[in-house]
Amino acid sequence: MDYLDYVQMTKGQKFAYKLKSFFAAIPKVIVKLFMYIGYFFKKLFTIIGTGLKGYGYRFAKGDIGTKLSFIIMGAGNMMHRQIAKGLIFLATEVAYIWFMISFGSVQISKIFSMNVDVFRDGSTIVSGALGSEPPLKQENMLGVEEIVNLDTLDNSNKILLFFVMTVLISIAFFAIYIANTKSAFATQQQLKEGVKPASFLAEMKDFLDEKFHVTLLTLPVLLLMLFTVLPIIFTIFMAFTNYDKEHQPPGSLYWWVGFDNFADVFYANPMKSETFGKILVWTLVWAVFATFTNYIFGIILALMINKKGIKFKGFWRTMFVITAAVPQFVTLLIMRLLLGDNTGLNAMWGTSIPFLSDATWARITVIVVNMWVGIPYTMLISSGLLMNIPADLYESARIDGANAFQQFTKITFPYIFFVTTPYLITTFVGNINNFNVIYFLTGGGPSPSNYYQAGQTDLLVTWLYKLTVNSSDFNLAAVIGIIVFVICAIGSLITFNNSKAAKNEEEFS
Amino acid sequence: MTQSQSSKEMATGYAARTKAFNILVYVILAVMVIVWIFPIVWLILQSLRGEEGISTPYFFPHEITFKNYVRLFTDERFPFLRWFFNTLFVAVLSCVISTLFILMVSYAFSRLRFKSRKTFLNFGLILGMFPGFMSMAATYSIMEIFGLKQQLIALVIVYSAGAGLGYQVAKGFFDTIPRSLDEAAKIDGATRNQIFWQIILPLSKPIIVYTALTTFIGPWADYIFVSYFMKDNSDNWTVALGLYQMLGNQTMSEYFTVFCAGAVVIAIPITVLFVIMQRFYVEGVTGGAVKG
Amino acid sequence: MVSKSKRAAALVLTAVLAAASLAGCGGTTTVTSGGTQTSGGTTSSASTESNAGSGAGDAVDIDSEETIKTIKDAMAKEAEATGGKISMKLWCSGDDLKFEKKLIEEFKEKYKDDRFEIKIQASGAIGEDAAGGKIVESPQDGADVFNFADDQLSTLVEAKAIAKVANLFQNNVVKNNSEDAVTVCKINDTAYAFPKTSDNGYFMYYDKRVFKDEKSVENMDDMIKTANEAGKSVYLNLSNGWYNTGFFFTAGCTVEYKDGVQTADYANEKGLAAAKAMCHLAENIDKGFVGTAGSAGDNAAVQQGFANNQYAAAIIGTWMGPAIKKSIGEENVGAAKLPTVLMDGEQKQLHSFGGYKVVGVNAFTKYPTTAQTLAYFLTTGESQLKRYACRGLIPTNNEALQTKETVKNILDDTDVQVDIQSDPALKAIDAQRQYAHPQGSSVGGKYWASNIGGFGSEIVTAKGKISDADLEKKLKDLVDQMKG
Repeated sequence: MDYLDYVQMTKGQKFAYKLKSFFAAIPKVIVKLFMYIGYFFKKLFTIIGTGLKGYGYRFAKGDIGTKLSFIIMGAGNMMHRQIAKGLIFLATEVAYIWFMISFGSVQISKIFSMNVDVFRDGSTIVSGALGSEPPLKQENMLGVEEIVNLDTLDNSNKILLFFVMTVLISIAFFAIYIANTKSAFATQQQLKEGVKPASFLAEMKDFLDEKFHVTLLTLPVLLLMLFTVLPIIFTIFMAFTNYDKEHQPPGSLYWWVGFDNFADVFYANPMKSETFGKILVWTLVWAVFATFTNYIFGIILALMINKKGIKFKGFWRTMFVITAAVPQFVTLLIMRLLLGDNTGLNAMWGTSIPFLSDATWARITVIVVNMWVGIPYTMLISSGLLMNIPADLYESARIDGANAFQQFTKITFPYIFFVTTPYLITTFVGNINNFNVIYFLTGGGPSPSNYYQAGQTDLLVTWLYKLTVNSSDFNLAAVIGIIVFVICAIGSLITFNNSKAAKNEEEFS
Repeated sequence: MTQSQSSKEMATGYAARTKAFNILVYVILAVMVIVWIFPIVWLILQSLRGEEGISTPYFFPHEITFKNYVRLFTDERFPFLRWFFNTLFVAVLSCVISTLFILMVSYAFSRLRFKSRKTFLNFGLILGMFPGFMSMAATYSIMEIFGLKQQLIALVIVYSAGAGLGYQVAKGFFDTIPRSLDEAAKIDGATRNQIFWQIILPLSKPIIVYTALTTFIGPWADYIFVSYFMKDNSDNWTVALGLYQMLGNQTMSEYFTVFCAGAVVIAIPITVLFVIMQRFYVEGVTGGAVKG
Repeated sequence: MVSKSKRAAALVLTAVLAAASLAGCGGTTTVTSGGTQTSGGTTSSASTESNAGSGAGDAVDIDSEETIKTIKDAMAKEAEATGGKISMKLWCSGDDLKFEKKLIEEFKEKYKDDRFEIKIQASGAIGEDAAGGKIVESPQDGADVFNFADDQLSTLVEAKAIAKVANLFQNNVVKNNSEDAVTVCKINDTAYAFPKTSDNGYFMYYDKRVFKDEKSVENMDDMIKTANEAGKSVYLNLSNGWYNTGFFFTAGCTVEYKDGVQTADYANEKGLAAAKAMCHLAENIDKGFVGTAGSAGDNAAVQQGFANNQYAAAIIGTWMGPAIKKSIGEENVGAAKLPTVLMDGEQKQLHSFGGYKVVGVNAFTKYPTTAQTLAYFLTTGESQLKRYACRGLIPTNNEALQTKETVKNILDDTDVQVDIQSDPALKAIDAQRQYAHPQGSSVGGKYWASNIGGFGSEIVTAKGKISDADLEKKLKDLVDQMKG
């Protein structure tokens, strides 16, 4: 359906259309999700297949140098007159072997130390714990308790972390290893065709031109791997352990529990699963309200400020921008006091309105305060957009005799809505993850008795934070993190796939 | 009634209606501004309040004083000045590194075509969907391995290492720069390196300012990571954590007005910066975020 | 053990210690492995039975030259591993920071030695309410010696993050401090902490201008009426588990924490009676009763309430004494035990938690002997007396409690006339003592992690208008939550 077709519809038709397309999208997305997963594995196997084929082919057709490079990295390049490159490959191999002998193998061996696990139902099996050396206590002559193995004792956290690190390094090494065989074979082919392999300097220079993307991306990607990807993988592993309040390394080690934590969240533990269900519903309700209230009122505010005949536009805009510029934790903490049970407004008015202490009040309050926080941003952005609306659209509308209100509903709003769909997705996902407003304002409260470590305004992310910081339920927190990820992924997939911007990305290129 | 008369009447009627409508808009705007500015005014008034405690049953303080500001800079227990410079250090460094990273990554994704580009883009999209602080316990352990436990530099790394993921807005902006510029330069023999520095960046002032602004403001407002990373090392706290500590149960009634003074002090430079730069902010975000 | 040759003294000391340890656990030095299931779970080999006063030889004179030398030798040995430097961290309340730093100087002076250099960094960033949690979270980042409230002890012991009190000091700690204070420092008969102050409990501060005599502060219902007539309120934070648990104790509920299992029999008629008593008070909200601190927290709420002339009485502890005195004038401040509340149709004395602030040693410290010695030093009778003189915190040491003399305030070098027995706050605490329950054995981490505070909060928000069936359901949820 075209944008113009859409604009020509009546109000009722539009609503019906939106409703229809929303619900129609859901099964499609689920099907799509599975298609993606299937597609992913198909692609994976294809890659592995072609990779293996190429690997075998290179070995079969390779000369001595190429064949040698399958064991001694860089040998092929060195024998094909690319000494410097060959040496770099060789150095990588030596470094990797040294790393594995001195460090990596130890970490991998520790990850599945034998241990007796006692399961919930009382059954015991022998399986993997993370580490085997707990602290050993001894008393010295004064009767002071010492830990004698302070330097060697195992810490499940470190073991898991080093394990993930070793695996990542091994994957990176494997990629370099394959590149090494490819490079050896390519130079062999070049020599056969009588082409002189590029000099080291020339290859280096290429990093500023043809391979400039490598130069630009290496450092950011490397840091991303180390400080974002590695921790995320680590945390995902955590979801399958019993790393909670009672298993805090190094005092006591933790071990693998399979899907127990997921079961807890979904059905096995009534308290946790009920809390999860309620928080999930509220998170979605919150995200919808928070996104659309800000969006609609922000646009209306921008329209008012930018309306023809309204003076002091700069003044109005600046007034709102000021509130957006003050750091959020400041304004939100101030709001907390301003709306407290016996402080701020209640103290001034001599009332005790439970703005933040009654569930219904608190939920409305956080949405309203979020409007206070977010509307200036939307106003700023849509101000910029309003100027981009093609003037001829209004021209023709005026000729057709449309009044201001009709112009808004027929042109301005659809246009902005159309252009800002990706922005809306980002805001929606951002609101699912909106920590500040909830944490600083209500701290998640009020907390009724049937919530586990959470309150009635808690979002999944603030619950995650509380589980991490207040109750040290790291395993549960990891599960929640994974669930938040899945929700965001599905949400983005629904909207992103239907939005025009995604399809048009290549248009610019 | 002649034709011209009626159209004249219509015009005046229209003008009157417009005028009435404008007045309505003024009234709404004025009311909204009051609502929006009220908490800020209250904050400033509290920072000047002479009476102790967290709240007064009246709006205007009975005793106006600057002693909270004096105390803010002289208090031994909450060394605000030190935290201020810590934050400045972290903000400046991570602003420089993050901005550079974001521009590099978004340029590569926007203007360069290479084999695994789509994979990287999807990868970035997926990573961005994990809650930011989900894995901070692990990040902390990594910092420990590098000997950066509870160091300011660890904060810089946390804020800027993942910066590459925030490429969307800048990429959207780069996408809008005509590709013919690159083609022309390439014909003239410029390398992609030269095109990046000499052609694209000079055209990207709004997005550079936008990126720098957002990455600079980040550390001033972040509470989650600082609180988890700095723990008890109060020498290396930033203002957000330090000020938040003033509102602890033990100290709140004594320090609330000092907190307000501190809040005003850090809000002023950021607000001024933001108000001056708002043009770039709008250009950057509308040029980038919206077009995706 | 005064004038013997040094070597002989050291021998005797060792012998005494060995005897003490023999008497205790009937064996040699114990090596306990506190780890995973393979080690056979928790063997109670560390259950050193304390035998206070069972023999004069048990308590060692810590200040004798020989003992100091032995301790210094052990410290020197610890310092060797880190190049002759002992570098430790101490966590204390931010309010106490200045004072604790002074004490640390005295400690360094007392144990000065050529063989090592002592560096102790005191920080007020992690207060007594949070220290236990932070230590458990990552013991190796935590302070070597930390001050904390006794309710965190069980969590610390469970996580194996706190070291037991060294044999050397144990008998002294047991003998010199009040029995109650020692009890809360023990889990399964092993002492894990050094008692420091006895103010981690609550009683009632009131405004003598509103409540003219002691009779007027006996009954909660009357107090609320009197306060309301004066246009003021009585403050009792029902939204906080620490305070509202008193109602359950009053109703005769039993709360127990043992081997990591939290039991609380709230889901019965007794629990319901307690809940209904809370509801009864909450009906008076806006009519002379305040039941929540809102978003501000107890201390700020109380400070503000008295400063703005809104409160006539508040149930809170010694730490708010100075602020209340400042607000309404010292002469107008009264202190008393908690009043009675209407429960099951009769007036019953409200029970409470009686707690202590204690000092603990991180199990993962690199300098266990130094850390233990410091913890002991910070909690001796002398140090406690100084703390009272400087900070007004009530001691646990028997001798210090009886002291009536002039003590120097080491913060500003003034002389303070100390007479703890006549301190009105102490009198109130003493009067409440028989209704105060220790926290260590009754509540663990799971208790606080439950929604016990939220339960009260709901009652307050509903202004007490909750049906019995709803209350029963909530109580059941609460108990389930504590079980984990």
